[in-house]
Order: sequence, then structure tokens, then C-alpha cells
Amino acid sequence: MLRRVQRNTAPKANRSFFQQAWIRFKRHPLARLGAAVLLVFYLGALFADFLAPYPEEKSFRDFSFASPTRIFWRDENGRLTRPYVCASERRRNLETFKVEVITDCEKGRYPIYFFVKGEPYRFLGLIPTDLRLMGGPWLLEDKAKLFLWGTDDFGRDIWGRIWYGARISLTIGIFAVALALVIGIFMGSISGYYAGRPVTFSIGILNPQFWAFIRGSPWYTHLMAALGLVLIAALLFAMGYGYQNFIRPDLQRVSTLALGALGLVVGLVLLGVILYALVWKSHLARALLWLSAWAGIAWLLWITVWGFWQSSRGLEAIIAGLIGAVLLGAIGYVLLWPRIELDLDTIIMRTVEVLAAIPDLFLLIILSVLIPMEVPPAVRFVLVVTILSFVNWGGLARIIRSQVLQLREMEFAQAAQALGAGDARVIIRHVLPGTYTYLIVAVTLAIPGFILGESGLSFLGLGIQEPATSWGLMLSKAQATGITAFTERPWLLIPGLFILLAVLAYNFLGDGLRDALDPRTKV
Amino acid sequence: MFAYVVRRLLQLIPTFFGATLLAFLVIQLAPGDFVTRLELDPTQDRESIANLRQQLGLDQPLPVQYAKWLSGILQGYLGLSLSYKTDVWNVIGQRILNSMVLVVLATLMIYLIAIPIGVYSAIRKYTWPDRTFTVLAFLGLAIPNFFFGLIMLFLAVWLNDLTDMRILPIGGMTTEFIHLGNLTRAAQLLFPFALLGTLVFAGLFWQRSRRGQAATFGIWVGLVLFGMSTLLMLAPLLQGPGLPERLPYTESPLWARATNVLWHAFPVVIVVGTSGLAGLMRVMRGQMLDVLSQDYIRTARAKGLSERVVIYKHALRNAVIPFIAGIGGLLPGLIGGAGLVEVTMAWPGITPALLEAISAIDIYVIMGLITITTVLLMIGNVVSDLLLAWVDPRIRYS
Repeated sequence: MLRRVQRNTAPKANRSFFQQAWIRFKRHPLARLGAAVLLVFYLGALFADFLAPYPEEKSFRDFSFASPTRIFWRDENGRLTRPYVCASERRRNLETFKVEVITDCEKGRYPIYFFVKGEPYRFLGLIPTDLRLMGGPWLLEDKAKLFLWGTDDFGRDIWGRIWYGARISLTIGIFAVALALVIGIFMGSISGYYAGRPVTFSIGILNPQFWAFIRGSPWYTHLMAALGLVLIAALLFAMGYGYQNFIRPDLQRVSTLALGALGLVVGLVLLGVILYALVWKSHLARALLWLSAWAGIAWLLWITVWGFWQSSRGLEAIIAGLIGAVLLGAIGYVLLWPRIELDLDTIIMRTVEVLAAIPDLFLLIILSVLIPMEVPPAVRFVLVVTILSFVNWGGLARIIRSQVLQLREMEFAQAAQALGAGDARVIIRHVLPGTYTYLIVAVTLAIPGFILGESGLSFLGLGIQEPATSWGLMLSKAQATGITAFTERPWLLIPGLFILLAVLAYNFLGDGLRDALDPRTKV
Repeated sequence: MFAYVVRRLLQLIPTFFGATLLAFLVIQLAPGDFVTRLELDPTQDRESIANLRQQLGLDQPLPVQYAKWLSGILQGYLGLSLSYKTDVWNVIGQRILNSMVLVVLATLMIYLIAIPIGVYSAIRKYTWPDRTFTVLAFLGLAIPNFFFGLIMLFLAVWLNDLTDMRILPIGGMTTEFIHLGNLTRAAQLLFPFALLGTLVFAGLFWQRSRRGQAATFGIWVGLVLFGMSTLLMLAPLLQGPGLPERLPYTESPLWARATNVLWHAFPVVIVVGTSGLAGLMRVMRGQMLDVLSQDYIRTARAKGLSERVVIYKHALRNAVIPFIAGIGGLLPGLIGGAGLVEVTMAWPGITPALLEAISAIDIYVIMGLITITTVLLMIGNVVSDLLLAWVDPRIRYS
């Protein structure tokens, strides 16, 4: 017997893609949990000064490796009362003969107040305030200590430093992923867009096309190019002069370094603008630049072969001479005759492969050795971000390349090209927006890798260094004290727990976003 | 296929040059060289320092140094360790072997555990064991392995304190003295059980094969595990009673040294393998679920095949394909992943050697370590590509 199927034909509101995605995301309990945990962590990092009872670098040498301060809830008569701590001092326990922090409530009881006046700090580095979550007048007068989660080797409060460290550990992932994304988008979109469309790389001098190429630009462009080259020389000189006289003598100050970095960026941008607007228009200048580049390569090769040949003998010298001759001959041939077309895709993807060929950890380690020892923490942070993203941009570039490869064949991209849009415009306006949803997921899932990378480096003592804090650095204290003393101070492992939670939360969030942004799942 | 293999191998050459050149440049760009430290020493005059630098070839231009090093590599010579004054291979060979012990054992562990659990989770999806495994897999993927290593050490110290015995090792790869007497007594105690287990599983195996049935996975695992342990116990049983109660590590017989290293490796391997295990478990579950929803599985069930045959013969064999290919990728992946654990748990492997060489600026040792791991990694990738092409007839390479 046939039954009529009740169809649910209630009209659905038209929802935009992101509204649908939001609905899907809200259905994912683990993703919501991850987002909540991350929110708490980032708020904690933002309000670290408020949460911590002590300033970041405050250390109590007498209280190194002090265990978590006991918090009492009952007064001497056993009645519930406002939580309080007792006076404590460091002395030798006459039973075990170990130096211990001994709490003695007879010497003073100090109730913990909330939202109290503490040591002054600047919120966000700007607003001066002294409001802290926990403490009391006794904390400022140093009559008793409040170490919720114990102290490290210098006697610094771990609870507070967890939140100070969160500032670095949690933001480094975001900054590094942003930088890796910039490199990855640039390389990946070029690679994908030009895949299978070789670009002319060089034309030999004797090739008729070379002369046709040079004649292809009007005479006044050569003058502009000459002006551009002079400007570039002036710019490079100015940058070098500025570095020598203003930046280098004062490298320890963050403001000087920031100024230097800004100068470098502005200089490079200017260089690019001059190169593109003035020099590149003149084919003659391009050919000259190209020739000098080849001359440079030939010179490098010559030095190598000559030096090698001089310091070796016998068969080795003969083979070296032969190889050198063949290579120099090849350069000469390339310079003279053929037209060489290269696939940018091949070059970029080979570069990615080279980076992927060295194990990530080892590449990170040898790169981190490049960071000078004496730089201020802020610069070290930037440099750690840079090497993390340098090692890891390849994966993102591959993802973007595969997406761009698909999208560039779509009708809308073809149409834009047919309408006469330039390559840059097609890539930026038409192709890249199609990769956004995919990228959001890829980025969310990449951040935990960067967090782990930073904590690993800092754990080895090669990443963030004292006096700055990061979770990996704090965790390295657990081992620095020797393994046997290990079970006596388990609180030194707490930073590891925070790394674990942050990574877990990001993984959950990424999974949730992947499901939410997948248009195939129904709302 | 042949053309594909050749092309894939040829592609390795520029990658190798590029990777070593990059590593060499980065190492040389770092401030100072091996001799720099001597310059701070007031007893050394400038001339002898310059001589030393010339002797070690550190005064030549970078490209020449790289070419020299490269020509050595092509002749199979890794260069001279500056701090040990010997062939680099003598310095790093043992370290690489030590790391390989970890990597091979971790790979074995990952495959032996991930596949059965993945299959089980897929068949019983959304039951509580599956959910437990899912949670564990998420934790395993998220835990930084150096933190896990610390926890493992913590556990070992705590357990040893609690029982007043050395149940788990606390870091390192070997102990200075091996208690042969303890090992022998343990072997005498456990041997009957191992033999019994072997006989039981062999009996099961024989019974099934007489009925014309293939042995199950469980029988295979039991037979191999019990059989291996029986064989391993033979040496201490035969040789042990005649030996002194305890001997230095270097003078102990091979079986005692192997046992010692394996005992030390046990917690390290667990730590190293965890994230790979968690990842592969999830992949296996996904693959299996994918395959189980295919039409031919429904056909197989519809024609009345038993669930066992459907799962093990029709589904598993297709689902496991990416895993066979993954072996090549897993080995080198673990080399890097084991790094921080080696440092944490004091395993004398590649990464501690690299850190030592870096602090001494012993460039050729650094280069040697990086080159060998790079080569291993590239070979691993090629092997996994080729295995994939060989195992899966659906993949064709033009």
C-alpha cells in the first residue's frame, strides 16, 4: 500500500553562505569548545598583568622552586572564611635536612582580596593602572607570598608567567601563519597561474629575437631607465649610510630596530616601484641587467672552479677543471644563442621541494643559530616568526597552487582574461577570492604546527629567551633541574599542559570550520 | 612505469644539490667559525690562528668550500670533524644508527597498533570504544612530544620510587652495568609461559590450516609475539647461568646489550610513535569507512559472504593501500619527530649530536647529519611514491 509522504515544504529563509556556515559551526560541540578555550586563553594573555599578582620579571631568589602556596579556607576554629595564605619562609627542615619553604600560620594570616591595588603596570603598554585580580596590601609589603602554581628556578610565579608567556606562545602562531600565508599566496598563485605557460627567461645575444626585443621599446624609456638606475644607486647608498650611522650604533634599542625595519621595508618597496615604473619599461636596461646577472653567476663559478682547482691535485683537479669548463661553456652558450623559456611553476615547486627535503626541525635549528645572541626580546620574537614561516610556507603554497590551478580554468577567470584584465588583476580579483574558505581551514589547522614549532625551539633554548617568557621556555625548566629532582616539582610541567590545550583547541576549531565551510553539508 | 621511476630518481639530484647548498649557506652565514673561539684565547697569536684556519680550509671562499665538500660527498667522504679530528662518519655513524633503532621500532609499533584499531573503530563506529579511541587520537595528535617525554620520565621516576625497583628507564640508551643474573632469572621464570603461548598459537594455526581456513590476524600476532620472545629467551637460558652476576655494558654478550637497549627504547618509542599512531589510526578509520560504503561491499554482503570475509578480504585490502605507501613517508618523518624526544629523554641520537656540533661550530658534522637525514627523507618519499604506483593498479603515471 502506498503512503503519502509528508513533505516538509515550509519555505526556508534564504541564507548567505556565511550564515549557513555559522549555523553549521554552531552545531559542532567540539569546535565550540575549542573556540571557547581559545577565547579564554587569548583574553588571559591580554589581561596577563591583571591576572598575575606579580610583574613578569619579579623574582624571589629565596623561593626558587617553591611549591604552590597553600590556600586555607577554614580559620583556626574550623569555620569557613575568606581564603587566606599564611606567612612562609625558607629554612632547613630539621627532619629531612632539605631546604624547604615552610608555611607557618602562627606568624600571620593574610586574606586574599580580589580586584585590589597591586604593583603598577601599563595595560596594553599604554594605560597606567595598578588593578590586579588577587592580592592584598600584604602582597605589596611582601609579608607573604602568593604562588598559585609554584615558582621556577628564579623564584618567579608560574601562574602569572603562564599568562605572560601566552602572549608570545599564542600570538607567534598567528604572526608566523600570517607571514607564511603572504609568502605562500604570492608563490602559490604565481605558480598555479603560470603553470604550463612558460615565461621567456633569456635570449642569447646573437639570436635575432634579442635585437628585436631591444628595439621593442622607444628611446625615451632608456633615458628613464638611466634615471631609475641612478635613483636606485642613490637609494642603496642612502640605506647603507643610514644603517651605518643611525641604526648600527644603537642596535640594542627596540625603537631603533623598528625604525631600521621600517626603513628597510620602505626602501625595498621604493626599489621595486622604481624598478617597475622606470627601469622595466626599457628593454635595453633589462637586457643590461640580465647580462650583468649572468656575468655575476659566471664570476661566482669562476672563483669556485679556480679555488677548487688550486687546492686539489691529481684526478680530482682534472675532473674539477673539466666540470668547470663545461659549466662556463654552458653559460657562454646560453649567453650567446638560445631562447630559454622557463616554467615559473617548476622553479617554485622545486624550491618548495628543496625546503621540504631537509627535516623541518633541523632546518629550524640551523636557522635559529643565525639569530644573534644579543638582540632584544622583541626582535628575537620577530626573527623566530620569520624562520618559522620561512620553513613552513611550502605547504600553504602547495595548497594555494592546487586551488589556483582549478580556478584559473573556470569560466569567470577566462572571461576576465578575455575582457583584457592583466594577470595580476585576474589573480587578485578573480582567482584568489575563490580560495578563501579553503585557506581559512588550512590556516587554522596550520597554527598549532607553528605553536609546536616555537615551543620546541624555545624548549631547546634556541627560540624565545630570557627575560621574555614562552610556554616552551618555561617547560624547559622542568628538565634543566635534573631528572631525579623531577617528581618533587611537578608544577613545572603545567606550561606543557597549556601547549597541549591550545593545540587541541585549534585542532577542534579547524575541524569544525572545515565542516562548517564545506558547502556540500546541508543546513 | 620504468620511465616514471627514472624521472622520479633524476628529480632527486637537483633537490639534493639545492638542499645541501641551502644548509651549507645557512650554516656558514652563522656568526663565527670553528676557530673563532681560539681568537679570544690570549695565549694564541694571530699567525697560528690564521695558519690553523688555512689548514682547515676555512679561509677559502664559500663556494669553494662547498665544492670541496661536494666533491668529498661524491667520493663517499663526509669530511673531517673539526673538533674530533677524525672522519665525520666515525662521529655520526653510531648516532644515526641509534636514531634508526627508534624510528624502526616506532614504525613497527604504529603499524601494528594503528591498523587494527582503525579497522575496529570503523566497524564499530560511534560505539564507546570508538569514541574513546577518537578522544585519545585527538590527544595524541595535540600533545607536544617533548612534553609527553617529560611526562614519561616523570612516570618512570614516580614508578621506580613507588616500587623501589627499576621498572622503567630514566633516560639514556644503555646502563653502565648490566645485571646479567636478573636477566637470566627473568628468562628462566618467563620461558615456560612464552613456550606455552607459542604452542597454543601454533596449535590454533595448525588447526585452522587443516580445516582450510586462513589464520586470523590475532593468531598471527600471538604467534609472532610469543615465538619471538621464546627465541629471544633461548640465549640467556643457555648462556646466562655461566656468566657473572653483573658485567659492564661493553663486555656483556649481545643478547644482554640488545635487551638493555630495547628496555631503554620502550618508553622513548611510545613517545615518538604516539602522534604518528594517532594520525594513522584516524586515516585508517576514514579509509575503512570510505571503502565500506562502496557498492561492491554491498554486493559482497548481498551474495551472502560472511562479515569476516567482507571486512578482511574485500574492505581491508583496499583500505590499507595508502598505508603501504605511507611506510616510506613515515620513516623519515619520524627522524625529525624523534628529535625533541631524543633531547628530552637523553637518547644519543641525531638531534643531540646536531646540537652539540652546532655549539662547537663543527660545520662538517652538521652538514653530514643534515645530508644523511635529507637523503633518507628523499629516499623515503621516492619509495612511498613507487610503492603507491606498484600496489595500486588504479594509479597510472604518464
